[in-house]
Amino acid sequence: MKLKSIIVSGLLLGSSYLSAQSSKTTPSNTVKYSQYELPNGLHVILHEDHSTPIVAVTVLYHVGSKNEDPMRTGFAHFFEHLMFEGSDNIKRGEYMKLVQNAGGQMNANTSFDRTFYYEILPSNQLELGLWMESERMLHLKIDSIGLETQRKVVKEELKQRNENTPYGSILNEAFGHAYTVHPYRWTPGGSPEYINKAAMSEFIDFYKTFYVPNNATLSIAGDINVAQTKAMIEKYYSTIPKGTKAIPRPTVVEPVKTAEVRDTVYDNIQLPGVIMAYHAPAQGTPDYYAMNMLATILSQGKSSRMQKAIVDKQQKAVFAGAFPVPSEDPGLTLVFGIANMGVSPTDLEAAMNAEFEKVKTELITEEEFQKLRNQTENDFISGNLKMAGIAENLANYSVYYKDANLINTEIDRFMKVTREDIQKAAQKYLTKENRVVLYYLPKQE
Amino acid sequence: MNKKVIFSILVLFAFTSTFAQKGDKKLDRSIRPKAAEAPGIKLGDIQSFVLPNGLKVFVVENHKQATVAYSIALDIKPSLEKDAVGTANMTSELMTSGTKNRTKDQLDNDIDFIGATLTANPKGLYAASLKKQQTKLLELMSDVLLNPNFKQEELEKVKTQTLSGLAQQKDDPDAISENVKSVLNFGANHPYGELTTEESVSKISIEKCNAYYQAYFRPNVAYMAIVGDVTLAEVKPLIEKYFGAWQKADVVSTNYPMPLAPEKTRVAVVNKAGAVQSVINVTYPVDLKLNSEDAIKAKVMNTILGAGFSSRLFVNLREKHGYTYGSYSSLNNDELVSEFSAYAKVRNAVTDSSLTEIMAELNRLRTEKVPQDELDGIKNYLTGNFAISLEDPATIARFAINIELYKLPKDYYANYLKNLAAVTSDDVYAMAQKYIRPDNATILVVGDKEELSKKLAPFSATKNIEFYDIYGNVVASVAKPIPAGVTSKTVINDYVNAIGGATALLKVKDVSTKMNTKLQGMDISITTSQKAPNKYAMSVKMGEMVIQKEVYDGKVGKQQSMQGKKDIDGDGLDDIKAQATMNLEMNYEKLGYKLNLKGIEAVNGKDAYILEVVSPKGKKSTEWYAVESKLKVRNSQITTSEAGPMTNTTDFLEYKDVEGVKFPSIIAISGAMSMKLTAETITVNKGISDTEFTIK
Repeated sequence: MKLKSIIVSGLLLGSSYLSAQSSKTTPSNTVKYSQYELPNGLHVILHEDHSTPIVAVTVLYHVGSKNEDPMRTGFAHFFEHLMFEGSDNIKRGEYMKLVQNAGGQMNANTSFDRTFYYEILPSNQLELGLWMESERMLHLKIDSIGLETQRKVVKEELKQRNENTPYGSILNEAFGHAYTVHPYRWTPGGSPEYINKAAMSEFIDFYKTFYVPNNATLSIAGDINVAQTKAMIEKYYSTIPKGTKAIPRPTVVEPVKTAEVRDTVYDNIQLPGVIMAYHAPAQGTPDYYAMNMLATILSQGKSSRMQKAIVDKQQKAVFAGAFPVPSEDPGLTLVFGIANMGVSPTDLEAAMNAEFEKVKTELITEEEFQKLRNQTENDFISGNLKMAGIAENLANYSVYYKDANLINTEIDRFMKVTREDIQKAAQKYLTKENRVVLYYLPKQE
Repeated sequence: MNKKVIFSILVLFAFTSTFAQKGDKKLDRSIRPKAAEAPGIKLGDIQSFVLPNGLKVFVVENHKQATVAYSIALDIKPSLEKDAVGTANMTSELMTSGTKNRTKDQLDNDIDFIGATLTANPKGLYAASLKKQQTKLLELMSDVLLNPNFKQEELEKVKTQTLSGLAQQKDDPDAISENVKSVLNFGANHPYGELTTEESVSKISIEKCNAYYQAYFRPNVAYMAIVGDVTLAEVKPLIEKYFGAWQKADVVSTNYPMPLAPEKTRVAVVNKAGAVQSVINVTYPVDLKLNSEDAIKAKVMNTILGAGFSSRLFVNLREKHGYTYGSYSSLNNDELVSEFSAYAKVRNAVTDSSLTEIMAELNRLRTEKVPQDELDGIKNYLTGNFAISLEDPATIARFAINIELYKLPKDYYANYLKNLAAVTSDDVYAMAQKYIRPDNATILVVGDKEELSKKLAPFSATKNIEFYDIYGNVVASVAKPIPAGVTSKTVINDYVNAIGGATALLKVKDVSTKMNTKLQGMDISITTSQKAPNKYAMSVKMGEMVIQKEVYDGKVGKQQSMQGKKDIDGDGLDDIKAQATMNLEMNYEKLGYKLNLKGIEAVNGKDAYILEVVSPKGKKSTEWYAVESKLKVRNSQITTSEAGPMTNTTDFLEYKDVEGVKFPSIIAISGAMSMKLTAETITVNKGISDTEFTIK
C-alpha cells in the first residue's frame, strides 16, 4: 500500500534535496575500513571494495535542524539546497551537470541531526568527486538569483511533502506536540515563512560555523586505491582552514512528560488515523535497542502483533505499526494506525492500546523471542551490499557513536537484549503520560 | 591509541605524496580533475538450467553477504479482467493468505520466524532470507506457489482492505493522475486501462481467483532467478525437490490492438477542489519495445529531455524558474504498449506557465539538433548508471531474464555500452521526430478546476477542456444547447409542478425530516425542521449526543456546538435565511434572485438543466433540474476554507411523496468529505412549536 511507503520514507528522512532514498543498513560480514583525521579536523573513512568499478564519495556535516535558531526553522535543509549552487570554480547550475557528465549520481538529505551529501561515480572519476566536495567545503558561492530560485523550489518541496500528500503532516504534528523546549519540536522541513526572512549574511554565518572540516566526515567506499586516495584527499582538503567559531550544540533537555497530550488534526484524507508518539531513549543506549526490538515485535511482518491482531483479525486498520525514529538526543517511537473504512478512531485506539497492555503484562514467549532475534539478524546482515550505504553507515557510526566499527558489531548490542528487557521497556515507555495521541480526521466544513 | 598511530603514519605519507606529485606548493583549484583511465566493466556470470516441467532457472553467485533471493517471473499476457478488475491482484494476495498445509496464521508466522520476505504478485513471486534459512524458505515458497488455498474468508478481508485503499486514493493527487492517465492513454479495452473500482471489487470471486491462478501460474511460462551466496550445484537439487512437482499446462496469451495517441492535443482536467498544487502530465501511448533498434537511442533522447538532474525539464522548470521541486519525463519499453509522459507538480498559479515551458522543451527537441557536448554528457551519464546498476547482483539476473522475455540478442547487454556510445545527434533528432509528439498528446492536469479551467484552454487543439472523474469517466462534458421555449422560469415552474404543485406546497405549514448516516463508524442523524414562512432548525446527533445545532427564528440565527454558542452573522446569516424560506424556489423571482439557465449536462447519467442562482447579495450557486423528471437533482456551491476554495455538492438521489408533496429522501453530499443520508422519517404539518427554533 502506498501509504506505508509515504509514512516510512517520511520517517527515515525528514526531508531531502531530490527525493532521496535512504538506505538503512547494517552488515554482519566484516566491513574493513581505515580512518584518520587531517590537521584541520576533517575526519576521513575509507573502505576498499573492487567488486564493481564505482565509488561513493560522501560528506556528512554534523548539523541538522536541531542546530537551528527557533526563528529560522528549516534553515539547515534550505542550506542543503544552496550547497548545489556552486563555488569559486564551479558556476551556478554546473554542479549537477559535472556529476552527471561524469556518469555519476548524486543527492543529499537533511535530518534532525546531520546533513549528508553524496556522489556515486565510476571509480575513475574519484578525483572529480573529491575536488567538487572540497570546493563547496572551502568556498561555496551563492548569488541572489540562486537564492531566490531555491526559495521557490523549497516551498514547492514542502507543499508536495506536507500539504498535498495525505497524512503528509504527521511528522510535523507528532514532533510539534511531543516537544516543548527541545529543538526536535520542529522538523527538518521547518516553516516556509522563515525561508524568505533569512538574509544572505545569515547564510554566510551558518556556512562558516557548521560547514567546516572540523565538523565534517569524508567517507569513501568502493573501487579505490587507498594510498592514491589519501594523496588526493591531502591535495584538496589539507588547505581548507579549520573553522574558528564555536559549533553550537543544543544542551536543552526535554522535561519528562507527566500528562498525555491529545489533539485532532484535520487533513485531506478519507480514512481516519490514530498517531501516537512515545518519548523514547536516544540511539545507542541499552533501552534504545530494547525499544527497537519491541517495535519489531509489534509491527514487522504479517505475524507481528499489531498486524496480526488489528489489521488481519479485527480488520480495524489498513495499516498499523510502530517505528522508532533514530535520533542523537532522546527521540520518539511513532505508532500509526490508519482505520479501515467505517472504523472509528476510538475503536482503533482501543485496539492499539490493548496490544501495548499485552506486551507490558505478559512476557513474550521463547518462540516469539527467537523469531525476533532471527528477524533482527536478517535485517542486519541483509544490509551493506551497496557502497553508498556502507559509506553512510560508517560516517553515521563514527559521528554519533565515535565508533565506526559498530558497522560490524552493533548486532551484539541487539543480541544482548533479553525478553525481560523488552517487557521493561514497554512498561517504562509505553505509558499514557509519556505519549502524544493525534487523531487524523477527514476535513469537513 | 590505534587511531593516533594510523594518523601519524598518514601525515608522513601525505607529505611525500604531495611532494612527489607537485613540487609546487600552491594548488590551482580552477583545474578540474581529469578522469583516470576508464575501468573495465564486466558483467557477472550467469549459469542456468531447465527443469523437465519447463521452469528455466538462472543462478548469479554473489558471496558478499550470507543472503539469498529467489524470484519467479511469469511470461504471460492475461486476458482482460472486464467487470472484475483487480482479480489478478487479489489472486496473488490470497496466495500468501494460507495454503492447503498452513493456515494464514501459520504461514505468516513461519515466514517471520526465519526473518524472511515472501511476496506474490500477479506475474510472479519473490522470496529472500539469510542463506542458512534457505531450505525452510524454499519449502514455504513452494507451498505458496503449489498449494494455495483460496478461502472466502480471506477474500473478504482483502476486499475490505482494497476498498479502504481505494478510498485513500481519492485524496492522493498522484494516484488519481496515474489512474486517469492509464485510462486516457490505453482505454478500457486494454489491460493497462482497466481500473479497480468499488464496483469491480464486488465482482471478484474465489472462482475467478482460482481460475487466474490455474491459467497463468505455470512452470512452462516461468523464469526463476537465484541471486546470492549459493552455487548452482548446491541449489539445483533443492529446486528439483521443491518445484519439480509444479504442473505444466498450456497458457493462453491474449493480444491487444496497439492504443493510439490522440489525433490532436487535448486538455483533460480532474478536479481536486482545494488542491494547493497541480499535477501535470503531457502523455500518450507509444509503440516502443526493448528489442526495437530504437530502444537505446530513444532512451538517450528521453534522458536529455527529462531524466536526471541536468535534464532540460529539470533545469528549466526547477533551476531556472523555481516552479517545482522536480520535473521529469519518462519513456518506457513495454511489450504490449509503452508510454511517454512529461511530468511536473507545480503551484496552482504557474500551471499554465509550466505547461508552456514543458511544451517548449518538447518542441525544441524536435526542431533543434542536440549539441555534441550535451549528448556526450548524457551518454557518460547513462554509461555510469549502467556500471552503478551492476552493483546489485539482481541486475545481472534481470538481464538474463530480459533476454528471454523480450527475445533480445544473447549479447545485448554485453554490447550495450558499445551501442550507447554509437548514438549520434542525428539519431536523437530522428527519435524526437518519432516519439515526441506535442501535437498528439493528452495534457492531463489534476488540480483545482476553478483555478485552472480558463488558463488551460489555449493548450487544447479545440480550445475545449474535457473534465474527468477520478476513474477517468467523462463528467460534465460540453453543455448541450437548450431547447427552444425553455427558460429559467419554465424550469422552476416545471419543478414546482413536479413536486406537487403550488397549491399543495402552500398547504405545507411545517415539515421535519430526520436523516441518518454512518461516519467513521459512528451513527449520525441530522434532523431539519422548517416552519412557514421562514423558521428553520437543524441538529446533528452522534448516537444520542447533539453535537451541533443551528436555528433561525425569522430574525436571529444561532449556532451551538461542542465549542459553545454563537450568533450566526454575515454570509452565514444570509445562507440560513435562504434555507429557512419555505418554498424558496417558488419565490426566487419575488425575493430578488437572478437565475441564468446555462445549458444541459448529465448528472448521474441523466440530462439536467444547469441553473445558476445568484442571491440578492451576489452569492452564486448552481442547481441542476432533470430534463425528464423535472426534479432538482443536484446543487453545488463553492465555499472558502483554510485549504482554499472547495466545491460542496449535494445530490438528491430519491424523492418521497408525503401528503401530496415530494421531499428528497436519499441525498449524497460530497466535497470536503462524502456521505450518503437516508431519510428515516419525513413529517408534515405536525404543528412544530416556535421554541424549536430558538436556542436559549
